Parts: sequence; C-alpha cells; structure tokens
Amino acid sequence: MSKMPIIFVFSDKKDRLPEIIAGALALGEDVCAFVVGTDEDAQYAASLGAGVVYTFAPQQDVMLEDYAPSFSALVAGCGKKAMVLLPPSKRGRALAARMGVQLGAAVANEVTKVEIADSVTVGRMVFGGLASGSEKITSPVCVLTLSSGSFEPAAPDASRKAELKQGAFVPPAIMPKVVGQTPKQGSSVDLCKAKKVLCVGRGFAKKEDLALAENLATVIGAELGCSRPVAEGEGWMERERYIGVSGVMLKADVYFAVGVSGQIQHMVGANGSKVIIAVSKDKNAPIFNFVDYGIVGDLYKVLPGLTSLLK
Amino acid sequence: MKIISCCKIVPEEQDISVNNDKTLKLDTAGLKISLYDLNALEAGVELAATQEGSTVTALTVGAKVSTSNTKVRKDILSRGADSLAVVGDEALAGILPGETAKIMAGAAKKLGFDLILCGEGSADLYAQQTGLLLGELLGVPTINSVGKITINGSTARVERDLEDEVEIVEVPLPAVLSVTTDINVPKIPSMKAILAASKKPVEEISLADAGYSSAPASTVLSILAPDQADRKREIIEGDSEEQIAAFAANIRKILN
Ligand SMILES: Cc1cc2nc3c(=O)[nH]c(=O)nc-3n(C[C@H](O)[C@H](O)[C@H](O)COP(=O)(O)OP(=O)(O)OC[C@H]3O[C@@H](n4cnc5c(N)ncnc54)[C@H](O)[C@@H]3O)c2cc1C
Repeated sequence: MSKMPIIFVFSDKKDRLPEIIAGALALGEDVCAFVVGTDEDAQYAASLGAGVVYTFAPQQDVMLEDYAPSFSALVAGCGKKAMVLLPPSKRGRALAARMGVQLGAAVANEVTKVEIADSVTVGRMVFGGLASGSEKITSPVCVLTLSSGSFEPAAPDASRKAELKQGAFVPPAIMPKVVGQTPKQGSSVDLCKAKKVLCVGRGFAKKEDLALAENLATVIGAELGCSRPVAEGEGWMERERYIGVSGVMLKADVYFAVGVSGQIQHMVGANGSKVIIAVSKDKNAPIFNFVDYGIVGDLYKVLPGLTSLLK
Repeated sequence: MKIISCCKIVPEEQDISVNNDKTLKLDTAGLKISLYDLNALEAGVELAATQEGSTVTALTVGAKVSTSNTKVRKDILSRGADSLAVVGDEALAGILPGETAKIMAGAAKKLGFDLILCGEGSADLYAQQTGLLLGELLGVPTINSVGKITINGSTARVERDLEDEVEIVEVPLPAVLSVTTDINVPKIPSMKAILAASKKPVEEISLADAGYSSAPASTVLSILAPDQADRKREIIEGDSEEQIAAFAANIRKILN
C-alpha cells in the first residue's frame, strides 16, 4: 500500500488523539497536528508522533467547529495530496463536513478501513450495519472521521520532538456565538469491557419494571445495557448504555436480550458477543435469527422464574 | 419565517434481504420516511406554530423510484408541512451525501429559506453529514446535534447535545440545523391530517433548476453484507414453568 504524502489530524477529545495519530502514522508520510490549546497540548501531540504541530490560541465564545477555515487554510496551503483525520465525535463530524466543502474534498464518516493506492478507498457500515460500503475517493484531499478501534493507540514518548508552529485563527464569514456550556455528568459504565450484558428493550412497559432485569443481572453477574429507544426516547437509562450501530459495540462473552426486537441497527452492536440469548413474546421477532438460546414468552413471567431458578 | 424541513425516502429495513452474492436486495423493499427525519419534520411544524406567518416546506431529494412514491409523499405531507418540494431523478440512485447536499442547496436557494432543518442521519447511509454540508455550501451557519431551538427575531438560540457537555449557541439566521431525536416526539398523523395531505401542493424541481451538474468527489464501489456468525438457534416456544426451567438449564450451561 502506498502512503499519503501528508496527513493532518485534530481531535476535540484528548483521549482520542493517540488513536488518530497512530492512524496517520500508518497511512501517511508526514503527520501534522492541529491543537487548540496550550504549549503542553502541543507537546503531547508531538510525543505521540506528530512531526509538525500548529497551536491555535483558544478564542472566547467560539465553537471549536469554527476553526474549520483556519485548519482548511493550512491543508490547502500544503499543495499536496492530503488527508485529514478526525474522531467520530459530534464536533469531529461537523468539522469534517465543513472542511470537506471548504477544500472541495470527499468526506466519509466512521470509516473502518482505509486503502491508499492511486486513489483512496474507504470502508464504512451502511444500512444500519447490515452491510459494509466501499467508497472510492477521487478528490486530491479527503476528510475522514475514524471509527474508534481502527488503530492501536500510539503511546506517548516524551523524547519525540516536533516542529512547533503558531496557528492563526481565520474566522468564518458568519460566526455563531457560544453563550453557555454545561458539562454533563460523566458516566462510569464502559459496556465495551463487560463480559456479560443484560440488555433491555421496549418490551418493558414502564421504568419501574426494569427492576426485574436488575434482579436477574445481579444473579448472573451482568452489566445492564439497553436498546436505543430505551435510552433516547424513554430516557430510562444513560446514553452510554445503548447498544448498536450508533451506540456501544459489544465484545462480551454473553449478550442477553429481553424485550428487544433485534433490528439490525441494534444487533450489529451485539453480534460481536460469543453467545446470544433472548426473551421476546413475538415469535417472528428478528432477534430469533441471531440467537444461540431463546424463549418465546412474556418477560414478566420469564424473568422472575429465571431469576429464582438461577439464584 | 420560511422553514424547510428535509427528509429522505429510504427502503424499509425489515424488507431488505441479502442475495447469494452478498449484495442487498433493495428493489422489493417498501419505502418510508427515514426514521430520524420525522424529528426534523416535527421540529419545523412546531417552530412554525410559534412564529406567526411561517410556512414549512418539506424537501426530499433522491432517485425517482423513491421520490415519486405517492404513499410516502402523502405521509410526509400528513405530518404538518404546508407543501412538498421534490428533486427526483434516475441519475440520483446511490449518490453520496456530498452530491445530495449540492442538489439540496440548489433547491433551497430556489425555494428561499430562513431556517433549514435536517435529521440526525439517514437510515441507509447514516453519514450524519448532509445538513452540515448543505449549510457550508450555502455559506450559512450550520450546527449538528441540536436538541432545542428558540427563535428570537433574527437569531436562533440552540442547545447542542454533545458527548460531554451541553453547549448553548446563538446562531444568526438563515442557518441549517441538524436535530437530535430528543428535540420532540413526532406526532402520529390524525385522520384529518391524512385527508388534508392530498390537497397540499407538490413542487417538482429538476436537477437543472437546482443548478446541479454531477461531479462527485467520491462514489460507491460496492455494498456487501458480511458473513453471519453461525448461531445455535435453540428456541423454546412458550413460557410454561417447564419451558422456563428448560431455558434456565440452557443458560446454566453457558454460565458455568
Ligand atoms: C440510523 C439508525 C440508527 C439506529 N441505531 C440504533 C442503535 O444503535 N441501537 C438500537 O438499539 N437501535 C438503533 N436504531 C433503532 C432500531 O431500528 C430499532 O428501532 C430499535 O432497536 C428497537 O428497539 P427495541 O427492540 O427495544 O424496541 P421494539 O422494536 O419495539 O421491540 C420490542 C420487542 O419486545 C417484545 N415485547 C413486548 N412486550 C413484551 C413482553 N411482555 N415480554 C416479552 N417481549 C415483549 C416485542 O414483541 C418486540 O419484539 C437505529 C435506527 C436507525 C434508523
């Protein structure tokens, strides 16, 4: 595989930078990082392997995404075939799209595979994870957000030094103003690491009934997860707990679904599990195509029975 | 205020099957409004109700086989928009968001707008780009992950629901906003709304009128399903005491 002459990287989240720089080092000859922050942040990017680091002073009341013209100016100025790598965060996606238009570049989100030859080919999941799509990029510059887990994160090495440069802020023509920011309560769960996951779906009639699932989870030593509507529409559980193409991708030994229909967007997050178990009252629910062990029955009967039998 | 709510027409996921050569069989699948665009349609209608003299136009772009479906067109209009604008052409089958956004930008300029609303991402590609690309192409502010919108004269105050924080931003209009599924609960159309839908105007916009000429920066090479893991599929049908006990025995086998 040939390499991209230069790759530009940026991450709005510090903990995603090691993976993105690792990707850039694997795919490109030169790696140039953009940092909005302090000299210390620039040193961190250097320690991960960036050869050149542009540091931008944080601007008051400006969305991070409004650095897009500043970053694009430097990418356009390099005069080479180039790639921009970003994390698949909300801000990463927004930066990717805006830089894509500014640079006349193709944009692809959450890519799981990148191949560089005469042109760049990327792979990403489509149709809710039912299939993998392959896209051929013909523009000289492309902007990608990298699906998490695509590259082994780079380890920091303080002896690595980069050429440090000062970035100049280029404001967009029309700029929204940030008037408030409230941090969210951090979540302590990391379902990706859980060995057993008990997943609740919309088959539960009300929030109080989740106690049935909690009891079983305690007995079998499982972490609780859910389908997207349980977290998002109903708000019964934290976002960090929903499983699927737009949520957590499990690598569990056991995934146990209760009252989940098993739509592909959900199952793609569960299919990485070694054993799949399900309870649903609908015999024709798609979930039964994906299970090792299943029971067609009412969860309000099955869960209490199972909990006492497995105690 | 002139509002455009964008929605994509997509194949019904449950109808999609996998062919022997791993390609997807899409032509026999039913069609529907992409799930998360229902929130964009609803947000347009709700905002219009707070701003006197507002209109909502739904805009859909895609291959003619999808966009000409009268049932889905009616479904879109029964969700409260005043009119529907359609750009449908055979040439648009399988295009990527970069091209869709160019066509939408041309159509939006023709229609005129103060605010364009998009859903979080489409059910087929889920690239979560189109609204952002559209705004940038139009040269107006464009913001994703919007969970709340309040209009104050010529600005929109929006709440962005990000991974670690909620950000409040004042956005000068016109603008393009992509909304989350938390912004509202899309209403199920009433019988009256369904009947009214067939009387609402539909405007067809040609690719030429949208000022579009094809020059994609990327194209789809293939869409292939992966191999499925083999599963045991030992399914017990029924929830009598014995059946639950048999199920428990199965589970005990793997837990130990
Ligand atoms: C672009 C896109 C991305 C998406 N991403 C995700 C994602 O990442 N994760 C995700 O989960 N979803 C995702 N979805 C949504 C997904 O398509 C489904 O809508 C969702 O997974 C359904 O959740 P559910 O199975 O809990 O609910 P339902 O589909 O309503 O299923 C409930 C099930 O419970 C059964 N049931 C009801 N009562 C009982 C009872 N008393 N006892 C036993 N069983 C009962 C029903 O028969 C049914 O099978 C996405 C959709 C789109 C369009």
